[in-house]
Amino acid sequence: MSNIPDELRYTEEHEYVRSESDGVVTIGITDYAQGELGDIVYVDLPDVGTEVAKMDVFGTIEAVKAVSELFSPLTGEVVDINTALDGNPSLINQHPYEDGWMIKLRVQNLATIEELMSATDYAQHIGE
Amino acid sequence: MRWKLIIDPVGRPGRDNMGLDSALLRSVQEGGPGSGGDAFLRLYRWDPSCLSFGRNEPATSRYDVEKIRALGLDTVRRPTGGRAVWHDAELTYAVAAPCHAFGSLRQTYLAIHQMLAGAFERLGVTTTLASRRSGRAPRPSAGACFALSAGGEIVVDDRKLVGSAQVRIGKAFLQHGSVLLENGQDVVSGVTMGTIPRVCATSLGEVLGRSIAFEEVARAIALEVRERWSGSWSEESRSPETIESDKFGDVSWTWRR
Repeated sequence: MSNIPDELRYTEEHEYVRSESDGVVTIGITDYAQGELGDIVYVDLPDVGTEVAKMDVFGTIEAVKAVSELFSPLTGEVVDINTALDGNPSLINQHPYEDGWMIKLRVQNLATIEELMSATDYAQHIGE
Repeated sequence: MRWKLIIDPVGRPGRDNMGLDSALLRSVQEGGPGSGGDAFLRLYRWDPSCLSFGRNEPATSRYDVEKIRALGLDTVRRPTGGRAVWHDAELTYAVAAPCHAFGSLRQTYLAIHQMLAGAFERLGVTTTLASRRSGRAPRPSAGACFALSAGGEIVVDDRKLVGSAQVRIGKAFLQHGSVLLENGQDVVSGVTMGTIPRVCATSLGEVLGRSIAFEEVARAIALEVRERWSGSWSEESRSPETIESDKFGDVSWTWRR
């Protein structure tokens, strides 16, 4: 069974969103997603200051046998990226919800977070 | 699912092969003209032989660019990940289809490799699918594609027979891979700088103890896939006209890292 923390929000594309303070959210991929991808070897993230719209591709992730696009769950501005992933992308496999986070986004409209899936909905989505 | 089987009658340069695979993926992704919701299995070869790099592989620091030029090797960077492959005596397959065709990434990988294993059985070659490795993954700089098995790979006596890679864009995927007819992966080692990984590859020719032609393997795959994958099948004798070869012929893409 995958780890699906109750306090987070989720997308169909297997990204998670954690609400921080000041309208900033932390985005990464779920435990289920990292398990599906397998050993992650490379992550391409946007520059700080990049504006992304909901469902825009904000980066790519390469595991041993697959490259996938990363989709932004929300509209906003990238205010931080996890530079530790550059030298150690396996942090995503080890701690997807902690050290393996990808970007922090200052969200344009906080209310849109509520449109994302709850933990219960996401568990159903992945059949768990 | 409406499947189209394309057996490319001639070998193509790397830029065209990657351009065609990329065009098939885009066709599925967009469901655009000519696709009509179709899925594709393309079987092809390379002319001239070609050294391909993985999408994010640090080729400029890993491989000897001057030596590659001096040897006159054709090069291309794939749209998929993984590590370098020398494409010479091989049959290359490409599957472009909606993501829901087989399920999850792993289910897709497994379905395609099980189909190929069935085709090899028709040729008298018994293979196994490697179990998933434990421990850390190699970085993109770790060496040749055929230097290790990632789990779910088709192997004979722990030696890799097929090297595959997948890319997912939106709700479509492309998976392509090399079925070695003869083992020439030493070429990758020969242009690798620094520590050279041990290549654990084998080939259909080596396992069978005889040479085997592209056409013989293509026929076995064509028979197997129609039995395994449901839906209607049509066979096309030539590839689609649309080739996205500009990007893959661009040296700034090939040597971008």
